Amino acid sequence: MNNPISESEITPEALYLSRRRFMRNALSLSAASLLAGSCSSTPKSVLPTATVDATPPALSKFQDEFGNSVTSYENIISYTNYYEFSGDKSRPTELAKDLITYPWSVQVDGYVNNPQSFSIDQIRSSFEQEERIFRMRCVEGWSMVIPWIGFPLSRILDIVEPTSEAKYVRFETMLDPEQMPGQKSGAFPWPYIEGLRLDEARHDLAILATGLYGKNLTPQNGAPIRLVIPWKYGFKSIKSIVKISLVSEMPVSLWMALSPNEYGFYANVNPNVPHPRWTQASEQRIGQGGRIDTLMFNGYEDAVAGLYEGMDLSINF
Amino acid sequence: MKISRGQVITAILCLIPFGLMVFNYARNNLTANPIQAATLQTGHTAINLLVLSLACTPIRNIFGLNSFLLIRKVLGLFAFFYAALHFLIFIVFDFEFNLFWILDEIRLKPFIQIGLAALILLIPLSVTSIPRIQRKMGRTWETLHKLVYFVALLVIFHYLLATKGDISRPILYAGITLFLLLLRIFPFNKLNFTQKSSIFLSIDSFLSHKGLK
Repeated sequence: MNNPISESEITPEALYLSRRRFMRNALSLSAASLLAGSCSSTPKSVLPTATVDATPPALSKFQDEFGNSVTSYENIISYTNYYEFSGDKSRPTELAKDLITYPWSVQVDGYVNNPQSFSIDQIRSSFEQEERIFRMRCVEGWSMVIPWIGFPLSRILDIVEPTSEAKYVRFETMLDPEQMPGQKSGAFPWPYIEGLRLDEARHDLAILATGLYGKNLTPQNGAPIRLVIPWKYGFKSIKSIVKISLVSEMPVSLWMALSPNEYGFYANVNPNVPHPRWTQASEQRIGQGGRIDTLMFNGYEDAVAGLYEGMDLSINF
Repeated sequence: MKISRGQVITAILCLIPFGLMVFNYARNNLTANPIQAATLQTGHTAINLLVLSLACTPIRNIFGLNSFLLIRKVLGLFAFFYAALHFLIFIVFDFEFNLFWILDEIRLKPFIQIGLAALILLIPLSVTSIPRIQRKMGRTWETLHKLVYFVALLVIFHYLLATKGDISRPILYAGITLFLLLLRIFPFNKLNFTQKSSIFLSIDSFLSHKGLK
């Protein structure tokens, strides 16, 4: 598979931008909470730190922590589930190409001390964008390894400061049937809603992604900003987010509303909990050929199993 | 065994989805997940052909087009061909002959059991389509082939359970199938527009023409 990005151009630019962003952060941000939010913890894997004059790779790494190769850019951007555009995997690429993703803002509200609306520029400049290589396991039994660009969701939560009533985070995709023809279908209870428990949302592996392969997200991949929860089935990773609300009750996601016996709130990748339609015990890794065993929590068990201690995961599926 | 012109045309049309699939696969154009795409395409084609085969008898009865009984056989056989392909992709390419995985899938998923039952029931219907056997069976053949109504219902149910999200298409197929079955029951089976136009006669003689050995 070819990687359509020339290896020489992306990284220096991304590196340059990430440094600029960092400087701009340090210079322009006055709110102490914002500073704390964006600079307090060191990023997991920052964009390449190798010498810039050598021809650097487009990515700092081409494998996940298990040695799985990243899926080709072409496959990632051509094969998507985006029901706001089409139920077909290939069609969103064409149907979403004119989606207006700029200007864009994400409203964060609900049980928070500082409700506010973040513009996409603000989001890109205020939060250090890191490269995170995550496995993505679709509930349909296929998977990819995707080099995201994004930042931990907790950074934004730290700024808005959830109050004690906040127990869950509810996410909402843009509702605009004129731009998203699939939303004209009465078969789904639009808009797309997803949710996380607050402690799940604060986990370091829960990120908001703004790009992949060192580039901004394409519309079909959820531009300009989407959630990525690598230990849960792909449908939890809601796309084109316009609203994040801190709530006290467990949100009902679109898929839960549509088919509660098939899709639970947690939707953790779990090879031991069968789905009536697709196998969850094994999966097809896109572009690789050959079925592989599905791992508990999609291989992030060590990091996230603690969130579910004492819970029966076959009931809380 | 003489083959009618209608049968040749039907067979060529029936091969198009298979040809397109192979062509797209060869050009690396069968999506990033060719196994899933091929499974869906063969499944959809099998259902389409099965429903079309159910339309033949009413077309014959209503419009007097006897040529459609020969076409019906071709449609039925190709429906079986695509259903078998659909199953083989599942066994060979998707689950790689791994019996541990395959038996688990069949055990855990009612929609697969239903689809498998439909496929198995199509086997005797396909085998008895050989003219020599068909002739030997006489009236028994007709009785046996009434099984296809049950198979169609199984297939629609399989399609419904296998569909994610928007189920309007399987519902539409269920409606069409029930309509086609209804046309076989009194008083609808007495509908007849044969006399109204001679165009049907010329269509029928065109499709019935047997120039090929």
